Amino acid sequence: MIKKKVTILNSSGLHARPSAALVKLASKFKSDFYIHMYGYRVNGKSILGVMTLAAEQGAELVFEVDGPDEKEALKNILELVENKFGMQDE
Amino acid sequence: MSSRKSGEISIKGLPGSEGIAIGTILVLDKKKRKVQPKKIKSDAILAHLKRYAKSKEKFLIELDELAINLDQKTVGILETQKHIASDIEIEKRVNSCIEIELYSVDYSIYKVFNEFIERLKESGSELFQQRIIDIENIRDRLIDLSCEDEQKLEIEKGAILIVKDISPTDLVAFYEKGVKGLVMDKGGVTSHAAIIAHSLDIPCLVSSKIAVDSASEAKKAILDANKGELFLNPTKQRLDEYKKEIRRLKRVKKARVGLQQPSQTKDGVDFHLRANIEFVQELQAAKDYGAEGVGLLRTEALLYGGIAQKSEVEQIKFYENVLSQTDGPVVIRLFDVGGDKLNTHTPDEANPFLGWRGIRMLLDEDEMFEGQLRSILKSAGKYPGQVRILVPMISLLEEVHQVKKRITKIQKGLKKEGLAIDESIPLGIMIEVPSAALLADHFAKEVDFFSIGTNDLTQYALAVDRGNEQICTLYQQHHPSVWKLIELANKAAKENEIEISICGELAGDEIGAACLIGMGITDLSMSPSNIPKVKEALVNRSLEELQAFSKAVFTCSTSNEIKAVFKKMGLANNSPD
Repeated sequence: MIKKKVTILNSSGLHARPSAALVKLASKFKSDFYIHMYGYRVNGKSILGVMTLAAEQGAELVFEVDGPDEKEALKNILELVENKFGMQDE
Repeated sequence: MSSRKSGEISIKGLPGSEGIAIGTILVLDKKKRKVQPKKIKSDAILAHLKRYAKSKEKFLIELDELAINLDQKTVGILETQKHIASDIEIEKRVNSCIEIELYSVDYSIYKVFNEFIERLKESGSELFQQRIIDIENIRDRLIDLSCEDEQKLEIEKGAILIVKDISPTDLVAFYEKGVKGLVMDKGGVTSHAAIIAHSLDIPCLVSSKIAVDSASEAKKAILDANKGELFLNPTKQRLDEYKKEIRRLKRVKKARVGLQQPSQTKDGVDFHLRANIEFVQELQAAKDYGAEGVGLLRTEALLYGGIAQKSEVEQIKFYENVLSQTDGPVVIRLFDVGGDKLNTHTPDEANPFLGWRGIRMLLDEDEMFEGQLRSILKSAGKYPGQVRILVPMISLLEEVHQVKKRITKIQKGLKKEGLAIDESIPLGIMIEVPSAALLADHFAKEVDFFSIGTNDLTQYALAVDRGNEQICTLYQQHHPSVWKLIELANKAAKENEIEISICGELAGDEIGAACLIGMGITDLSMSPSNIPKVKEALVNRSLEELQAFSKAVFTCSTSNEIKAVFKKMGLANNSPD
């Protein structure tokens, strides 16, 4: 299992479409993916779970990936976060 | 509002569409169904799990069908909806709610979605306040789909449907399954569902307020939409009375429908009565009542659930369905909606009726506009000479120029593709904004026909929102100012030798129609079931009589004076103004 701290860069936070992009990517991997934020832990492959975090810009999250392809999964997910989920900054 | 007599309950409402029906009742109370925690037996678990899986499957197919032909942004929104509908946490929890807690599928979906919705609400984040409505819609759609098969069984032929509120599309679906009467607790006589009920020629009662709550234990009902009353569990005496009345009305109706004589005034002047419709299902009534073609085909039902427009393939199917089943012209009105019906995140407008709607919106929404034009023009190529295009909410001449440009461009494209086109497809505009009526002489040089939408014209001329109860008495469709605007358009049409027709409610009342024919406007389009009474009023009068009548109307300065003229001419109806 690996854990990694990340910060949300998108100006409007983790709203519906970034959440969808994150879930879509995470679901491609076999490993389980959980997100921790301020004591909450949600399934990172559940869009509603991710949305309930209501993570705004600057929010600090911890990604927890566990499974056979955890390294590759984390690498891809981090790239997505750095690229602001492929959204042009709104 | 209700009174009890030996088990019979009487509920008052407003008549939305005339007629009487006796039947078993079908109460559709979505809210009630959702909040009821129903437990199931363990041998039903598998069936409920399957229903949940199937509802998801159907919903995803619906979204895929919608996604055809949509722009990138809208597809993105649908993708998010798909993710939500197939969310793995939701799935896990709904399944366990059924399997372990033994709740029915509909309640399980409701309960699990609400857990997430509550958390989203608690988060207080502005991000998702709008999304919450979307999620609730997905929840409700899944619940509907999971109960679909169950519902089908409940509908008996000739049933009376009792609802709080219903969409036109749902009403048509119920009509097709055998529903023959509608009672709606909310809404007024001009609500969309009431208009469709009228057009489908089934009785409809609106504003009944308490029918849904009162009907839960009743089985049978009499719906008297002529008097505006619903009787639940009617007494035998009442049933006998109404059976007699229905037989009497059938005879009267038969005599009217059988009004086979040509549409001519007593002295042989031709006029044309056409149908206003929105659904293919309304064509039968139009035919039965002898409509000469479709004078107004509304197309807003193609804007599925306000999410997105249907694909071109589906649009063409709709147009060609109507065309193949209609003898005579079909006037297709382009999407006449405001920004609220789109999902492009438009800000709320303070005055939507003075806002971004009709042609104003279409000119900004290229993909939607050209998609609709292409669908219509392709269909017109297969039915040359039958289609006419009508543009809503025109207020400036420049808008006409722009529409023409687009049509020419698309026609050229279709020709290049080797498709048949109707080279001389007539283009007309709605005269519903006073500026268009005032400048009608200029507009008449640019288009092939005018169609006057008297409902909106009245609203705009008198600056009155007819949905606003406080001022609804000011909505007077017989007001002298409205007649004057119509006459301006009429004069311009005659001088420039273009056609003119009326498609508002004014054409569907005997008085309005009589005056219009007197003015020389002989092409009237109305809800199909109004045709017989209008025809009856017109064939029994000579043009001379009608001309004298309209002349007298034009000397009036108030609606009351006009009313007095109507009376004098022996033309009084129960119209409110």
